[in-house]
Amino acid sequence: MAYPSMGEAHRRITDYLNNFSDAVSYQDVASLAQLFSFSSNSPPLLSVADALNFFQDANRLIKQSEKFSQYGEILAPLFRSLQSYRTGNLVDAYHAFEKFANAFIQEFRNWESAWALEALYVIAYEIRVLAERADRELASNGKSPEKLKGAGSFLMKVFGVLAGKGPKRVGALYVTCQLFKIYFKLGTVHLCRSVIRSIETARIFDFEEFPRRDKVTYMYYTGRLEVFNENFPAADHKLSYALTHCNPLREANIRMILKYLIPVKLSLGILPETSLLEKYNLLEYNNVVQALKRGDLRLLRHALQEHEDQFLRSGVYLVLEKLELQVYQRLVKKIYFIQKQKDPSKAHQLKLEVIVKALKWLEMDMDLDEVECIMTILIYKNLVKGYFAHKSKVVVLSKQDPFPKLNGKPVNS
Amino acid sequence: MLTESTNQDDDEMMNQATNTQTLASVEPNSVENRYVINVSQGQTSLYVASTTGSEAASWNTYGVDNHFAENASFSNSTYHHVKHSEPSSRAVQDGSNATSLATSSTLGATDTQPDYGGYASYSNSSDPYSHGSTGYQGYYSGYQQQPNPSYSQPVGAYQNTGAPYQPISSFQNTGSYAGPTSYSSTYYNPGDYQTAGGYASSSYTHQTTTWNGGNYANYTTHHPYSNYAPDTSGTYSAGNAGANSMHYQQHYKQWAEYYNQTEVSCAPGTENLSVSSASTQVSQLPGVSGGYSTSNSQAPTTFATPWRPESSSSQTPLSQPGATVTGAYDSYWTNGAPTFQNQHPSPVQPLFVKALDTKYSYSNFQEQQNTACPQIPNLQYPMAQQAPQNYQPTAQTVQSSETQRLSKLQIQTNPRIASNLPLGLPKLDREGPNNGVISKPAYISVSQPKSSEKVLSNDATDSVIKAGVFPKSLKNYVQRALTQCKDEKQSAACQEIMKEIITKATNDGTIHTRDWDAEPLFQIPNTDMADKNSSQNPTPVSLFSKYKKSPTKRSKSRWEPLPEEKSVDKLGSLNNYAGKYSSKVHLDEKDRKPTGVNYEGKSDVMKKIRFPQMELKSASRTVQRQVKRQRLADATAADNGDASSDSDKEQNLTAYYSGAIMLADTPEERKRRENRSKRFEKVQGNRAESNHFKAKNAGTGNLYARRTTALVLSKSFEDDGSRAVEDIDWDSLTVKGTCQEIEKRYLRLTSAPDPSTVRPEEVLERALLMVQHSQKNYLYKCDQLKSIRQDLTVQRIRNHLTVKVYETHARSALEVGDLPEYNQCQSQLKILYAEGIDGCHMEFAAYNLLCVIMHSNNNRDLLSSMSRLSDEAKKDQAVQHALAVRAAVTSGNYVLFFRLYKTAPNLNACLMDLYVEKMRYKAVSCMSRSYRPQVPVSYIAQVLGFSSSTPTNEGSDEKDSDGLEDCVEWLKAHGACLVADSNGEMQLDSKASSSSLFMPDPEDAVAHGDASLAVNDFLTRTSL
Repeated sequence: MAYPSMGEAHRRITDYLNNFSDAVSYQDVASLAQLFSFSSNSPPLLSVADALNFFQDANRLIKQSEKFSQYGEILAPLFRSLQSYRTGNLVDAYHAFEKFANAFIQEFRNWESAWALEALYVIAYEIRVLAERADRELASNGKSPEKLKGAGSFLMKVFGVLAGKGPKRVGALYVTCQLFKIYFKLGTVHLCRSVIRSIETARIFDFEEFPRRDKVTYMYYTGRLEVFNENFPAADHKLSYALTHCNPLREANIRMILKYLIPVKLSLGILPETSLLEKYNLLEYNNVVQALKRGDLRLLRHALQEHEDQFLRSGVYLVLEKLELQVYQRLVKKIYFIQKQKDPSKAHQLKLEVIVKALKWLEMDMDLDEVECIMTILIYKNLVKGYFAHKSKVVVLSKQDPFPKLNGKPVNS
Repeated sequence: MLTESTNQDDDEMMNQATNTQTLASVEPNSVENRYVINVSQGQTSLYVASTTGSEAASWNTYGVDNHFAENASFSNSTYHHVKHSEPSSRAVQDGSNATSLATSSTLGATDTQPDYGGYASYSNSSDPYSHGSTGYQGYYSGYQQQPNPSYSQPVGAYQNTGAPYQPISSFQNTGSYAGPTSYSSTYYNPGDYQTAGGYASSSYTHQTTTWNGGNYANYTTHHPYSNYAPDTSGTYSAGNAGANSMHYQQHYKQWAEYYNQTEVSCAPGTENLSVSSASTQVSQLPGVSGGYSTSNSQAPTTFATPWRPESSSSQTPLSQPGATVTGAYDSYWTNGAPTFQNQHPSPVQPLFVKALDTKYSYSNFQEQQNTACPQIPNLQYPMAQQAPQNYQPTAQTVQSSETQRLSKLQIQTNPRIASNLPLGLPKLDREGPNNGVISKPAYISVSQPKSSEKVLSNDATDSVIKAGVFPKSLKNYVQRALTQCKDEKQSAACQEIMKEIITKATNDGTIHTRDWDAEPLFQIPNTDMADKNSSQNPTPVSLFSKYKKSPTKRSKSRWEPLPEEKSVDKLGSLNNYAGKYSSKVHLDEKDRKPTGVNYEGKSDVMKKIRFPQMELKSASRTVQRQVKRQRLADATAADNGDASSDSDKEQNLTAYYSGAIMLADTPEERKRRENRSKRFEKVQGNRAESNHFKAKNAGTGNLYARRTTALVLSKSFEDDGSRAVEDIDWDSLTVKGTCQEIEKRYLRLTSAPDPSTVRPEEVLERALLMVQHSQKNYLYKCDQLKSIRQDLTVQRIRNHLTVKVYETHARSALEVGDLPEYNQCQSQLKILYAEGIDGCHMEFAAYNLLCVIMHSNNNRDLLSSMSRLSDEAKKDQAVQHALAVRAAVTSGNYVLFFRLYKTAPNLNACLMDLYVEKMRYKAVSCMSRSYRPQVPVSYIAQVLGFSSSTPTNEGSDEKDSDGLEDCVEWLKAHGACLVADSNGEMQLDSKASSSSLFMPDPEDAVAHGDASLAVNDFLTRTSL
């Protein structure tokens, strides 16, 4: 690549410094944030990086003028990070960036107003992304990736800076969401709890006061946590909130929300339109939905098997597996309807053999005992109203509403 | 004692008086006398070189009694010097004692640093003394409290005596230490006082008091001490009252002897330290003394001067000896004392060792200052040799005539001293150009000590082998052994060992027939180790000593496997020696049970051989102990504080100090040690004496020591600053086991592992097989497997065997439902499998899955462990089973669950067992909700796995009936309502039951929540 001349390099670096200094003095957060946004790979930033690598002695320029040298602790590591970033040394870039970020929040603390929040957002985002990339680099070198963890503790510090009574508190949720991302990635979800607690219980925070995008993100992650806990009503509430407040143009985000919301809704007995699944490319749920509609146990099992890895990774496998009981319910219901058509007077007495035969048609090889067990479980879970007569091996259905609908309530457990 | 008392009365006069007195006293105990002579000679010779006539004379006077005829002229000159110098010299000695104490305590002190540490420690101990009587009193009181007062006394004596020894150590270090001098001076006085007190108590309480007075008079400055002395005497007297007092006294006497020797040796060191005092005393060679303090080269000259003072002290020794020696030998005492209790012979050994050590150190010193000294040694040596010979006869006569009646104690003390002296001589010989000449005396001395010991024990038997009796080869042998020793401790230990060997040889009459030249050298027991092991074994210090030899290298070398050039070379030889020694020891054991103590040395030796580091560790461990003791000590707490503060000051002086503190013997520590050793004695009692004192105990002690040493090592590294922890070569710390026992009980390591108790891989393999085929119960197996695991871990073996062991353990833990143990194994296995080591990966993946399902109830864990399963794993039968179980559990399908239970592969059923109760309860609540009106119990029994029959063949009624009864019982226990129908068949009344079901509290529930912690269970476990 053609390196700029020394004068050109000098000019670019000085411009960058001037931009920084002006942005701070005019509180122009937009241009300030631009200066930090490495991952945007914006041409001006890259050219500055090139100039730094060429010029090498940027620190002299920083010290040159009082205007810059007062931010020397911020700018010097920032330049170093930019240099390393440009040369592809992401671990070094991360280290320098963390140093820069620490210096910046130190300065940020001194600013009364929250004008620089956007810049802080950029930093929080950049440090996370940089840490992820540095970890990838470390892992490929056989070293233990730990930068993301470090970024997590840095963001906790940032959270502490923001969690106060001042105007900066509205930035806390953004940082929280970045933390969620880190924790979910690291699999240390339990660490979310403390942040959630302070967000949801601290008086200084009014949830509605936060920016909408942060609220959506927050609800999405906390909804996912509820899915893990199999607390379906709560999960439904949070994910629904996220869905309804999500920018409708952000289809990717909507899809991510639906990915969890659909299983939650299914387990509450609410089935999605096929068109929805198609629109958001969630066809892996299609067969599950069909199985629920038809009472086709085989289809459900196939669907689960087919997308097992996917479901396991996203963490909805167990949720979907529990739909089995609803499928049984649907199957029994169908048998009941057929019996009713043939002989309404005896329709409420379902012989076990019939059910076993039906399952056999579905290629589910289960014997009487097993089916009997499932029937008792259905009754026990209140998916079927009635009782089981062991002597005669008959399921005696209630004459009133023998197959109660869930209607948004979770299956009894 | 009488002589001692007189000495005390007139400090200045003491020397003279002592001479006469010593003569008298010596006479009683021929052996003792001989020793004394030897010592004096050795010392004198060394010193004489520098001082020439005058010093020698002084020595003679001391050692004197015995040698007098030969060295008479010398003695005269020395006399005067001694008198003048004594106070100062004593002071010096005290300081030296302090140092020696430190060194002895440190053990590890192979290098100068340890010595320094000793100093520091000493200062601590000494400080309390100097500071005030209170500290002392406290100390004493503490002693008194101890069950064996006599012990305590020795301790005190040791402290005092320590001074002389220290000089030696100081000698080694002298070059480096200019500053210590001040220390020594302060300490000396206290030390002397103490010794006096200790002495009195040990030997003759009444006399002691007088002694004390005398001492005090001399050292007016130390008023507190004077107070102190009485106290000590009182305590001591109590100790004497004890039945054991006799033995102890003897021991003490021996000690005293040692001390005397040590004093002599120390004197030089002390002089160095207390330059001023030395110079005054040494009027003849003032310039020399001054030089000494400043630098090594000068040292030789100073030596002479110091010696004289020392010699004076040494004379006093008879009176003072105990005192002087005590400080240095605190550790000794502890070791020795315990041993004494158990075994008479053993006590002697310690003494011996000490003497050797002193000599050794001395030798080192000489080596350092080689150029200056050579002439001196020659002169001295001949003297020494002659002296012993002469001495013996006199001693014998004396014994027969006077002694026994006056006081065995005194006599004993003298002999001991004497023994020490002879030992010292050998060393000197070595060092000196005239080895041959010197060697003889040394030899004699060694033999004599033994005899003296015997005499002591027997009282009546004075039969002393004359110096001439010993073959030259034996002398050479002794010399060789002594050259091994680098520091006092080692030499002391060495002496002890040699004593044993020689006594043994004399006993079985092989002394003249044996080929001593071909005799393998033993390893010098580590005194510290001995302390640790308490009475049982004086551990070989040799390795340490080697390291110690090179003063300049010091601390660093300590931790390094092969610290220095010299040390390296010697190490090899030492190792060999050690091995041989161990073998010898065995022999000895066979011969004498009492010596058993020494034998622990074996294991130590072994360890040392392979792992020189280990020794270091042990040393450090002792240090740690000391620290612990300090904490524990109540009465002495104040003292400790003082000591520590003092030590802090000293820290500045010595960079090595940090290590030293730990190592330093504080009075409390000593007490503790003694207590400990006593405890062991009590517990083990005869066992210890018999050859098989528990290997376990020894092992554990060693292990402990090692680990502590490791810790200390790391700590020292940190403290050092020059060394980072990363610099520790952990690989070199990895143990390579040597134990061949297949069976080994598990004992949680509290210290670095001891290779002699660690089994190598082949043995472990056999051990595993043994466990696998063992018919014994789980607790036994668990114990064995844990010990195997431990051995694997400490040897860092991670291979198929490791996997097998963990798998075996995990399975046996599963069989009995020991989940905690299983989890430990499982987590290890996970790591091992991840390292690519083959094993029953699938089987354990299934177990893991089941474990998560049944017991963690954490969906995220379950999901992650399921998502981690490879496709290959999912095809595995066991894993499939586990997955099916999971499905059954999540869906609540009890029928499926119990079916899977019956078809479970491997030990999956064992894990499922732990969930059965829950599953049954769930099932019955489900049934009672769903079934109407009734459910036959037979059906329940069949479905819920009470009967072994599968649902398809319900025909087997007999089995079913059993299951039925169980089921009925279970249902009743859980509050189900049962009714009999018209056919007499039991039915579950589901409607009634639905509201009455409950989960009974587990029968084995205990208040603290863990049934395995129940007392009864614990007892059964421990009894195994």
